[in-house]
Amino acid sequence: MFWKKKSKRVRHENKEGNQLFQKSKDLSIAAVKGLISNMDDGELIEHRINKERNITLIFIRTLIDVERLNESIIQPLKNCSEDMIHTCIASVKAGALSSLDEAQKLMMLGHVLLDDGKGRWWAVPLVNTLGRSIEQSEAETILYGPKDSFTEQIDQNITLLRRRLPVTELKTEKFSAGYLTKAKVVLMYVEGIANPDIVDIARKKISKINIDMVIEQSNLAAFMEDHIHSVFPQFQQTDRPDQCAYSLGLGKIVILVANTPFALVAPITFFHLFQSPEDYIHKWMVASFLRCLRYVSYLASTTLIPLYVALTTHHYQVIPLQILFVLLESRSKLPFSPFWEALFMLLILEIIKEASLRMPSKTSTTLGTIGGIVIGQAAVEAGFVSKVLIVLVGIAAIASFLVPNYLLSKTNTLIQFAFLILSSLLGFPGIVFGMIYVLAHLNGLSSLKQPYFAPVAPLYWRDWMDFFIRAPIPWMKKRPAHVHPLFKWRYNRGDDH
Amino acid sequence: MGDFILFDKTAQLGKGYIIAFANRSQMLYFILFLPKFLEMPYSLLGILAIGILSQINLFILSKCLSSKYTQQGYQGFADLLGRRTLRIIAFAGIAFIFIKMSLIILGYAEIVHQFIFPAMQLPWMILFIILLSTYIASQGMEKTLRFGIIAFLCTFWIILLYIPYFFPPGAELHDLYPLIPTDWSHNPWKGILMVWSSLSGPEYLLLLLPWLNSKQKMLRYLSIANAISILQYLLLFLGCLFFFGSTYLGKIGFPVVNMIRYLQSPVFERVEIIMISLLMFHYVFFISVLLLCLYGAIRISAGTQDKETTRKGFYAVCLLVLAGVFFIQSFYWREGKELNGWANVQLWSGAFTYLLIPSLLLAATKIKGRGSSL
Repeated sequence: MFWKKKSKRVRHENKEGNQLFQKSKDLSIAAVKGLISNMDDGELIEHRINKERNITLIFIRTLIDVERLNESIIQPLKNCSEDMIHTCIASVKAGALSSLDEAQKLMMLGHVLLDDGKGRWWAVPLVNTLGRSIEQSEAETILYGPKDSFTEQIDQNITLLRRRLPVTELKTEKFSAGYLTKAKVVLMYVEGIANPDIVDIARKKISKINIDMVIEQSNLAAFMEDHIHSVFPQFQQTDRPDQCAYSLGLGKIVILVANTPFALVAPITFFHLFQSPEDYIHKWMVASFLRCLRYVSYLASTTLIPLYVALTTHHYQVIPLQILFVLLESRSKLPFSPFWEALFMLLILEIIKEASLRMPSKTSTTLGTIGGIVIGQAAVEAGFVSKVLIVLVGIAAIASFLVPNYLLSKTNTLIQFAFLILSSLLGFPGIVFGMIYVLAHLNGLSSLKQPYFAPVAPLYWRDWMDFFIRAPIPWMKKRPAHVHPLFKWRYNRGDDH
Repeated sequence: MGDFILFDKTAQLGKGYIIAFANRSQMLYFILFLPKFLEMPYSLLGILAIGILSQINLFILSKCLSSKYTQQGYQGFADLLGRRTLRIIAFAGIAFIFIKMSLIILGYAEIVHQFIFPAMQLPWMILFIILLSTYIASQGMEKTLRFGIIAFLCTFWIILLYIPYFFPPGAELHDLYPLIPTDWSHNPWKGILMVWSSLSGPEYLLLLLPWLNSKQKMLRYLSIANAISILQYLLLFLGCLFFFGSTYLGKIGFPVVNMIRYLQSPVFERVEIIMISLLMFHYVFFISVLLLCLYGAIRISAGTQDKETTRKGFYAVCLLVLAGVFFIQSFYWREGKELNGWANVQLWSGAFTYLLIPSLLLAATKIKGRGSSL
């Protein structure tokens, strides 16, 4: 009963929300002036051509390039004859307007609205391209390789991708998301390589988004993910154009969102999140070793502390005698059980990690020192935790940083806590219960309806070339099978579609 | 909540799944104490002989699998056997599936109880295993079968742990004699029957055929799986013979598990605790598949196979299984004896299904084919 009432209320609010943006469709000076009422940066300029005729320019000063306004519109209009207005501003691609809605939309995107005095309206694009310059990626740094990264300017981001893939098959489809933000969303794919079914799924998912604000790419991903309750990211979020271009070339899709320097890449698999751009820069054996190290580190970061709890709580007999002596000596004076000891340390570690992320960079170094040495050492000396646990917590924390994908590396915290509880209850079988649950969950996930745990389940042997190991690039002659590309060969070998 | 679809099909699973499923289905519970019942070295020849018989049976099974009736799933079986007969068979199948499933659950729970948590009550372990299996099965048959590959990858390498047992310091080649029986005081038939029953499992592929790529060379993949299984049986039995010797082998409980206890490692001792924990992947996968088969069999016998699968229905079946396993554990399961009454029931029922289902089905296909051609 209460649910019904609540849903009715929400519907009512939505109706009001829609009404808020419904205005008269008549395109007149008064109506357009109404659009900029109570806007300090809304400007209206009138230019008299003759006694009977005024040209009116209406625009939002903060959204347009004011210098170009002078050069492209005001100056040409000064020397313009009565019937040549459209020709005078032709250099800036003026488009005719037919409705107030259109006028409002374009004005808010940085267009200057121009009334020629005869009731005809034009929109002249003079978008202010204010934004930061292209800088080095901070989220995914590499030593050797391209240094540029995306910015908040979506057109600039498209340029960065087009420069890398200068083919007409690289398609861009424009969408708008959020009825308040009207964020420009661009879906990119390589026609002839990307599977049309996958492109279509993405297209439908973007079109269905019905929300007021899409501020950044994660808002969009939240609506597009197949499994919203999963902790695992189903889209790769990257600010590296080289990564995106590579993914496009493999048959994936890339989604860019205006005002955010991150792109969404899909479909991805769980194992993609362990891949770094540097894998393709190193020699294949080095890259393979590093990749395996990341998998092992992820496993260690999630299971090392639960293993300690399982061993010290339930399975002392598994520990060899020499190590057992060290462990017993270390734990002999502790007032807590291994579970509480580990839980306490892991919580402290998470607090320090979270704090160091929120602090300015100079302070975070001090915080790291205080957290790592002072709290760690003090906790041991105070007799709250064992030295062995401190060592293990340190190893687990460092191991978690090896995962290149930040979103994935954060999932291990939750998994670690779940495993910790299971290990304290059921020891090794408890950890295995947890592992089976996580693997079954991963097996059930999908990214744009493509299996998330490929190439293991389902099995795609071909994709194992770029999985645990990174085979020599000349050997990787085919695109990944799990993406179902239309053209599977990466080499030019005729028409094998 | 979205739709609850358990038996949909979006892709066909390939050869890897067939090999993994057939091999893992032959490496379930009995293998953990099989050497105790084989006991004498000449049983090696028995394993080989049963392996060859199993190969012949798989040949028959592959014929069934490539039949046009079986490939159509329920509809094909209904055309072949008639709806009424199929409902009766499905009803009988419920018992066979439940026996197999309950033995795996109880057997594994007992091993955990015996080797890892002697203080833990068996029902807790049973509850956890069924909960986990229910979660996996609730994702549907396709994803459950896919999980089989994960289970295979997490467990197939365990056989490598037994390599050191081929080179124990005190072992000699004499331990493998006599290879040909000289006296028949030791009755090997129960062990031989157990090998056959233990090799059962691939017949469940008949129920999974809609999800498998039927254009593949089934016989080849089933033969590979069978050969790997026989090799593993031989390796485990040989290892047990070398390590325990035939005199002691008949007296030790779960020799395959017990043997690992003595594995020397600089990092871990009592490696069997880790091994038993990992074996859960394997058992939970099979229980999930059997849960789905059981649910399907119940739907067919109730005549509701054309209706959509429901969350309530599936969870009700899982609850029934839980209650059933608790019941058997309370009244029929005798701990500390590997081949207790309930295990004996599975010994015969497994041998029966493996022997008769492929043959009877092939016969039915031939008769139907002859009838339709007339």
